[in-house]
Amino acid sequence: MKRNPLILFFVAAIVAVMLSVGVRMARNHGIRPTPGQLMGNVAPDFQLPTLDGKQLRLSDLRGKAVLLNFWATYCEPCKVEMPWFVELQQQYGPQGFQIVGVTMDDASNADIAKFTKAMGINYPILIGQDSVGESYGGLSVLPTTFFLDRDGKLIAREFGLQSRSVFVDHINKALSQGQAVQAQK
Amino acid sequence: MACLVACLITTNRAATWSTLGAMKIFLSVLLLFVCLASVGASAQDDDLGPKGLAVKVVAAPVVTVVQGKPGTVPLTFRVASGYHINSNMPKSEFLIPTVLKVEANTDMVIGKITYPEGQDMSFAFDPDEKLNVYTGDFNVEVLVRPLHTAQSGKYVIRGTLKYQACDNKACYPPKTLPVSFDVKIAKAPPAHHANPAQSPDAHQ
Repeated sequence: MKRNPLILFFVAAIVAVMLSVGVRMARNHGIRPTPGQLMGNVAPDFQLPTLDGKQLRLSDLRGKAVLLNFWATYCEPCKVEMPWFVELQQQYGPQGFQIVGVTMDDASNADIAKFTKAMGINYPILIGQDSVGESYGGLSVLPTTFFLDRDGKLIAREFGLQSRSVFVDHINKALSQGQAVQAQK
Repeated sequence: MACLVACLITTNRAATWSTLGAMKIFLSVLLLFVCLASVGASAQDDDLGPKGLAVKVVAAPVVTVVQGKPGTVPLTFRVASGYHINSNMPKSEFLIPTVLKVEANTDMVIGKITYPEGQDMSFAFDPDEKLNVYTGDFNVEVLVRPLHTAQSGKYVIRGTLKYQACDNKACYPPKTLPVSFDVKIAKAPPAHHANPAQSPDAHQ
């Protein structure tokens, strides 16, 4: 039986694409989502210790807009953002906004406390774990910042240092979204 | 490359086995597409952060050292373009210094490791603050001294370079780069014993 090589070529191409998509889906499922896949979904929940020895669960902040900032003491760009975050927490806090910092470095708690004290941090700092980083896409870059609306859904993310106005835009968007806001209207 | 070779082999066999030729062509084209798709997928996965390590070893010459005598091994590292790493003496206690650790060896004493001075540079994320960093190529020197009893020959010395890289906008988790270099130990020349009785002057 004679086969048309062109048809064979296209059939092979289609099968290859399907295989590739399947492998990618299998790879992503249950291992590590990409940050893009997280958008629009409820943020992965976690409970982590705070610097002052308490525990904070992310889902306990439901009803508030949240800025979730992953950072490290060795990260100079992270340091640049922090004074803005202090101001933004003061400015937007009364409207139901909460910043949560998650430190992802190996420094001791004492060193982290020294650092945050020097920076005048006025929001909770959590001691991060790799598993939390993995659930947010691996955090290969610091700072990485996620924005959650009042329903806990991820509405934006930023990798690396951004301008203050970018944060303000995301915060306003986060504050204006979610069922809690719809109920008030 | 492995994919391409596999495709060529499959295609070549397809030409000789006419009864299974169509199937072979189909499989080789399929293999080629899967390879191309996987390359594309891995490129997408790595779209954040440095592509692999931000620092690599570019020169580790073999140094010949005489038994019992010290020698210096110059290692050259290269920081990828667009990145910087902290020097061995960063200005802040919170910054992670670049440190070379060399494994102990039973035949050789590992001595002082000498780092270059970093450059004071400011970056776009904070133009007002200067950081002491390495960019481009930098050399680290390792002092080695083979024991008197060490056998002559080539020895592989292993170690790691710990560094933490940043670019103009973000930082990346600390990394550990495996490092290895060869040191050739040569026999010490026979000791010269001054014996006045055998001195040419003694026969004059």
